[in-house]
Amino acid sequence: MSDVPLLRAENIHKRFGDEQVLRGVSFEMDTQDVQVLVGSSGSGKSTLLRCINRLAEFEEGEVYLDGTPTSEMDVNELRQQVGMVFQDFNLFAHLTAVENVTLGLRRVLGQSKADAETRAMRELEQVGLADQADSYPAELSGGQKQRVGIARALAMDPKLMLFDEPTSALDPELIGEVLGVMRDLAEGGMTMLCVTHEMGFARQVATDIMFLEGGTIVEHGPPEQMFDHPEHERTKQFLERLTTLHGDHG
Amino acid sequence: MAESATAAAPAEGSAGAPWRGRNRITLAKWAVGLAFWGWVLLRWLNDWLGGVLVPPGEPFLQAAVFTGLEAGVPDAIPVVNDALVGLAFAVEFLPRLVNAMWLTVILTVVSIAIGFVIAVPLAAARVYGRVWAVVSLAYVELLRGTPLLAQLFVLYYGLPWLPTFFRELPWVGAGFLPGQAVFVAVVGFTLNSAAYQAEYIRGAIESVDTRQLQAARAVGLDQVEGIRFVVLPQALRYAIPGWTNELVYLIKYSSLAAFITVPELFQAAGRIASQNYRYTALFVIAGILYLGLVITATNVMERVGETVSIPGVGTAAER
Repeated sequence: MSDVPLLRAENIHKRFGDEQVLRGVSFEMDTQDVQVLVGSSGSGKSTLLRCINRLAEFEEGEVYLDGTPTSEMDVNELRQQVGMVFQDFNLFAHLTAVENVTLGLRRVLGQSKADAETRAMRELEQVGLADQADSYPAELSGGQKQRVGIARALAMDPKLMLFDEPTSALDPELIGEVLGVMRDLAEGGMTMLCVTHEMGFARQVATDIMFLEGGTIVEHGPPEQMFDHPEHERTKQFLERLTTLHGDHG
Repeated sequence: MAESATAAAPAEGSAGAPWRGRNRITLAKWAVGLAFWGWVLLRWLNDWLGGVLVPPGEPFLQAAVFTGLEAGVPDAIPVVNDALVGLAFAVEFLPRLVNAMWLTVILTVVSIAIGFVIAVPLAAARVYGRVWAVVSLAYVELLRGTPLLAQLFVLYYGLPWLPTFFRELPWVGAGFLPGQAVFVAVVGFTLNSAAYQAEYIRGAIESVDTRQLQAARAVGLDQVEGIRFVVLPQALRYAIPGWTNELVYLIKYSSLAAFITVPELFQAAGRIASQNYRYTALFVIAGILYLGLVITATNVMERVGETVSIPGVGTAAER
């Protein structure tokens, strides 16, 4: 590959009505990077993720995927290449675990039912849920739901995975199983952009941590630097508070 | 719901006593339903085929059977005597009423089905459209806001080309197919019912979490695919109880077709009554037949709801 970054966000501005949420956010990610995005609630982390797969539109700036401006891509094509995992899972409530995974394979990629099922079962196996393939979301625990959510996104063969606080809605004892799957993914070379408060995960898995506040990235760097020698006092305070609050699961 | 009374003692029916509790009620429902529909179907077949068992319009059991029985019952038991006299009367006119009920069934089933096909896009347009939302709203308000009878009059008397169009189709009125008035009535009921059904379905669509569609979009489905494959399968399950209400209404509103000359159940009762002046008795019998249709419809829809139910979807209790 050339030295074009896999993902480049350039000067993104986003407002909701009168409120300017993002004021010129820029960053880059290379293939196999695991970026962790932190910031106080309301700082625009989720919004930034949504700007990347264009679930949210933004007024100014550009996001490049593999050097291609995403504003010039077909939005459904873009979303197939950028998988997303939601805080509250958002599994399709009327479909079983395996059907949740096959829907995109069949309707977006046009795979046959049999091919899609084979692929979906492989993804469910990877997240340890092959035995729950025929369960409906209402019959799964939060941790299991989120793992199906990850399998659903992975099945589309994305180049990049976005995680929007994937463990925030989980009971503490269920967080570990989801972080375990994410860690396996990272080790397998998946490029991941994660909004999370799990500082243990960030410290161990992230290649880079970004601190978003006031609509801009205040500071970013590898975990050691961010945790141990942050440039900004605000970064230090914030990460210390997160570590105390959310500890070191997994 | 009728379920709650039986659900209170669920173990009773399954614990080795198959004739008790819920099973007994289900069995009774089936027995009554089968007897009613067996008789109705037998009547229809008999009359369509030109009188296989008895001449068309003639009862299977002659009224004389009941009057004969009545003569044998001592006058000291007036309730039984009155009941037998009533049965003798009903038996005489039921064949003609049941025959007319065929049109009531056809009007309802065809109109609700075509109306449903129109109602789903109408409801989706209302929720997700911009210009189409306004069009859909205007349609619904117009059709819900004016009397159904007035709509039927406009279609039948106010737009002469419509009945004429149907009359000139070669197959209208030929063989089993009814005349043009029935087709005009179906158009009217369909257009009207579509508006009501769209409202029930719209409510159901709005009760589906918006994040479901967002998740579908995030996987790469477009808006229409997301609505079709993710939102509607859930919404239509939520819509079943309300939609059943519309079905029940339509069964009874189909009687308005009598006013544009359709010889359905209500008109048949009125016509017989105008000859023998037994208005109350005939409309009570017609009412009982409508009741049979309505109870059948609600039971069928309850079964449909159970059959398509999915854990976590479609039952208010789990939401």
